[in-house]
Amino acid sequence: MPPPPLLEIDNLCKSFGKLNALQGVSFSLQRGERLAFLGPNGAGKTTLIRSLSGRCKPDRGSIRLMGMRIDRHPSHSQIGLVPQDIALYPDLTTRQNLETFGRFHGLRRRELRHRVDWALRWTGLADRANFKVAGFSGGMKRRVNLACGVLHQPSLLLLDEPTVGVDPQSRHKIFEMLDELASDGTAILLATHHLDEAQQRSDRIVIMDHGKVIADGNIESLIRGTVGPQRMVRLRVDRPLTQALVGRTLGKAGQQHVVTRIDQVSTQLPQLIQTVRQHGYDVQDVQVHAPSLHDVFLHLTGTELRDS
Amino acid sequence: MITWHVFQLHVRRLLQNRSELMLTFVVPIAFFSIFAVIFGGGVGSGSTPKIKVAVIDEVDTESSRRLVQSIRETPSLRLMRDDAPASVARTQAEHWVRGGSITLAIVVTQKDSRLAIDLLADSSDQVAPQVTSAIVTRCLAATGIHDNTDIDFRNTAGVDPASPPERFAALPSADGSMPGGMIAPPRSMLQTPLVDPQTLVNIVDVLGEGKSSPVISMYAAGIAVMFLLFGASGGGGALLEERENSTLDRLLSTRVTMDHLLLGKWFYQSALGMVQVSVMFIWAQVVFGVDLVGHLDGFIVMTVVTAATAAALGLMLATLCKTRGQLNGLSVVIVLSMSALGGSMVPRYLMSEGLREAGLWTFNAWGVGWIRQGFLA
Repeated sequence: MPPPPLLEIDNLCKSFGKLNALQGVSFSLQRGERLAFLGPNGAGKTTLIRSLSGRCKPDRGSIRLMGMRIDRHPSHSQIGLVPQDIALYPDLTTRQNLETFGRFHGLRRRELRHRVDWALRWTGLADRANFKVAGFSGGMKRRVNLACGVLHQPSLLLLDEPTVGVDPQSRHKIFEMLDELASDGTAILLATHHLDEAQQRSDRIVIMDHGKVIADGNIESLIRGTVGPQRMVRLRVDRPLTQALVGRTLGKAGQQHVVTRIDQVSTQLPQLIQTVRQHGYDVQDVQVHAPSLHDVFLHLTGTELRDS
Repeated sequence: MITWHVFQLHVRRLLQNRSELMLTFVVPIAFFSIFAVIFGGGVGSGSTPKIKVAVIDEVDTESSRRLVQSIRETPSLRLMRDDAPASVARTQAEHWVRGGSITLAIVVTQKDSRLAIDLLADSSDQVAPQVTSAIVTRCLAATGIHDNTDIDFRNTAGVDPASPPERFAALPSADGSMPGGMIAPPRSMLQTPLVDPQTLVNIVDVLGEGKSSPVISMYAAGIAVMFLLFGASGGGGALLEERENSTLDRLLSTRVTMDHLLLGKWFYQSALGMVQVSVMFIWAQVVFGVDLVGHLDGFIVMTVVTAATAAALGLMLATLCKTRGQLNGLSVVIVLSMSALGGSMVPRYLMSEGLREAGLWTFNAWGVGWIRQGFLA
């Protein structure tokens, strides 16, 4: 029997005037699970995160954390929030920022000191404990921003674009920090537009659009359910095709490449190359592209701009 | 060409920014107008403001009644009560002066069997008591009270009866116009060895009798209140800054509620304001001799009230704005306007009656009044 979910969101609805920001959102999250929360601009991600953090009261539906309704009585001690902006006091030092938010989370004396020391080690900023945050690089600020949200050891961590504007090294470090939290049992809900990060660094993916959940599952199931598992193969030939190959189904006349989809790379790719050669062309380059979250996302949400 | 593009860029940005436009064009005109009205005596009027007084006749004799009548007929004075000057008690008049409902009170009294005039005034007003003193002196001379048995000008100590007082040449005219339009007293008076009526007029400071620097304490209060307001609006700005960079969201996701946050900020801003005002008055005592220690209890009470109110006003201003930029623009306009009208920049006694009335709607007028009254109590 699976353990009861840490977080259960059921039929959550929220409107702002005529705008239906959330239209019956439902999903759950297990302890220690890393969930990537995706969606185009205006999909309802921020409204959901604000509802989870108690900053927005839903019109209908329920949010349960460890079985307790938190849409009515927010459970601040069990939830950590890391906003997209650097929500710190830049004129305070790293330690002072950590102590400030630790106190606001209810930590006192020895426990606070212990957690601040842990956070300084965890972020790799122990040697910068007494430096003002204003002088830090973007990556360092992001790490402090993250640490301030987890000092009180929440069961659920809400992250809104935690790696915006940081270099690859800092991004790698931040995801190492998140993995460490998840391995200790913290459930992570990561709202992001970095699809490669979402694909590589999460156990499960939820995609929202127009206030509804339109996909929920791991990357394999999402690919299977949308674009399919077939690999995209692109062969570059030595000269432009005079006509399409294989009964006019492969390639186009005038193009110097052939694009198709195959199910089994190991067996079908050699057959494809052989077929092209049999038509008198020499294959100069082969590209095999596995379907990714990027393909799934665009397949589900389309390619239209969401500026309005 | 590039320089022209830079020029265009800044013009476009200016035109898009309403608060900057207001600060650039509206605020200077508003301030010019306020000060023009203060020092010009009203838009195009050029008239001298009347002094609001109450007259109390404690003697109630024929001579005193004549003097009161003469004072009443002086156009430069505006009497608070035209009827029954004998019915008003001196303590009541002092209360009116302290409360600011009148500028000063003219008390016709008796000292050593002689008629004497006490002007109950706020000595931080450096103009009104002197003007009124001259007018009353003129009334004393013009009514010929020296013939009355109530008063013996001939035997007043310290005055040489052999020479007529030179000050008479500087007395105001019957229409109350000030030095420039002055007339000499009756020739019969000058031919008689008389005492200078001005020696019978005594200015009594009802707000700070014996204090060393009433004017300095007034300016200290005025400047303190203005900077209290600037500090308070800065405190409100911190809240908007927290909202802009999502720190507010983070704070409210902890155990902190909006009530906690506002209350904490209000306490902090109030405490900061109290320290700010205290430091200013300590400096005023050390350097300018203002007697702070002697009035510590009243000063503390009124400083606490003023700082707490300013802090609340700053937070209220923040609620009217969406960004810190908006608040900066709004607070500059509001704080400077209130400071100009409320007496933080220019003493209110220099203003016309209308501006004084308008100034009563400003926080600065209340704040300066509170601190001064507490300080001088």
